[in-house]
Amino acid sequence: MFSANRGLAMKTALISAMVLALLPVRAPAQGGAAPAKPAPSRSSAAAENAERWLHVRVISTDGRGETVRVNLPLELAEKVLPAVNHDRLHNGKVRIDPSEMNDVDLRALMEAIRTAKEGQYVTVEGDDNHVRVAKEGNHLTIHVRDKSASKKSQVEVKVPIKVIDALLSAGKDELDLVAALHALGAQGDTELVSVQDSENTVKVWLDSKNVAD
Amino acid sequence: MVLLAKAALGLGGTLVLAGAYAFRDGLIRVDVDEYRAGGSHVHMWVPAAMVPMAMHFVPKHDLCDAAQHAREVLPTIHAFAKELKKLPNVDLIEMIDGGKHAQFRTRSGNLQVDVDSADEHVHLRVPLSTLDDVVGQLEESGPGV
Repeated sequence: MFSANRGLAMKTALISAMVLALLPVRAPAQGGAAPAKPAPSRSSAAAENAERWLHVRVISTDGRGETVRVNLPLELAEKVLPAVNHDRLHNGKVRIDPSEMNDVDLRALMEAIRTAKEGQYVTVEGDDNHVRVAKEGNHLTIHVRDKSASKKSQVEVKVPIKVIDALLSAGKDELDLVAALHALGAQGDTELVSVQDSENTVKVWLDSKNVAD
Repeated sequence: MVLLAKAALGLGGTLVLAGAYAFRDGLIRVDVDEYRAGGSHVHMWVPAAMVPMAMHFVPKHDLCDAAQHAREVLPTIHAFAKELKKLPNVDLIEMIDGGKHAQFRTRSGNLQVDVDSADEHVHLRVPLSTLDDVVGQLEESGPGV
């Protein structure tokens, strides 16, 4: 009797050992019914790792009150973009159709801007619009103000010159998005795009926080 | 009596271990509630570890077909899942449109999608490791691999 019990116990132990051996060494995911252990806020950790986050916020104040918030780590975008192969986007680079460029040589244009002194390059003052393109510090800024009574919109775009350089660092007729994101990651906290009109507010910015606001 | 107790102990231990194995990757959770007369209410909890295992029972040609159809997006999803696993709890995308509210976020190693509106509530929670495993298996099942 004792030997029979011992045999059963041995078999049970053997089965248990086999099951344990089959368990992959992986930290269990905390999900489902189990109460999720609150993960520590990574705002501070992100800052330590100099993680850069791209934020997009669109707020519409019309009747439906649409709001869109996007928080994306630049590193994620850098790693995922090369995996996207669709249409003109391949290996993190976008192919430009030369016929759509109207014979504008982007590289020559950027080289001219890079070597030029700071200041306003283009100012167009119309009845309805005011457009200003300038080089300020290490940024190219574009400011458009629509003065028409219906919209009264204002657009501000501020792009670091290094990002534009990186964008144009690919071969001819290509824009290197991954290189541009990488260059963007090296920038400090900055507001890239701001659009404001009577109904919508759009803001695109870069910082070290993983929350929009 | 002692024999029965030992057998029960062995069986219980094996069940606990089997449970731990099945739930080691967490749960895939799908909740759909339609707030209308006759609306459907689906609440499904599946051990995530079962999905890659279940894929071994799918006929190879079906897997190959699925991989063929999704071949363009598989590398993107794979890279996305791999990178998302590194992220802390973060709200990636949030959309509010009138009475509709959609959220796409990571929570404790899971990808969580929530859609709330006056008509329905949808909650989907998938462990990112499972997503990665499934996409990996599909990629391996693709033609020419």
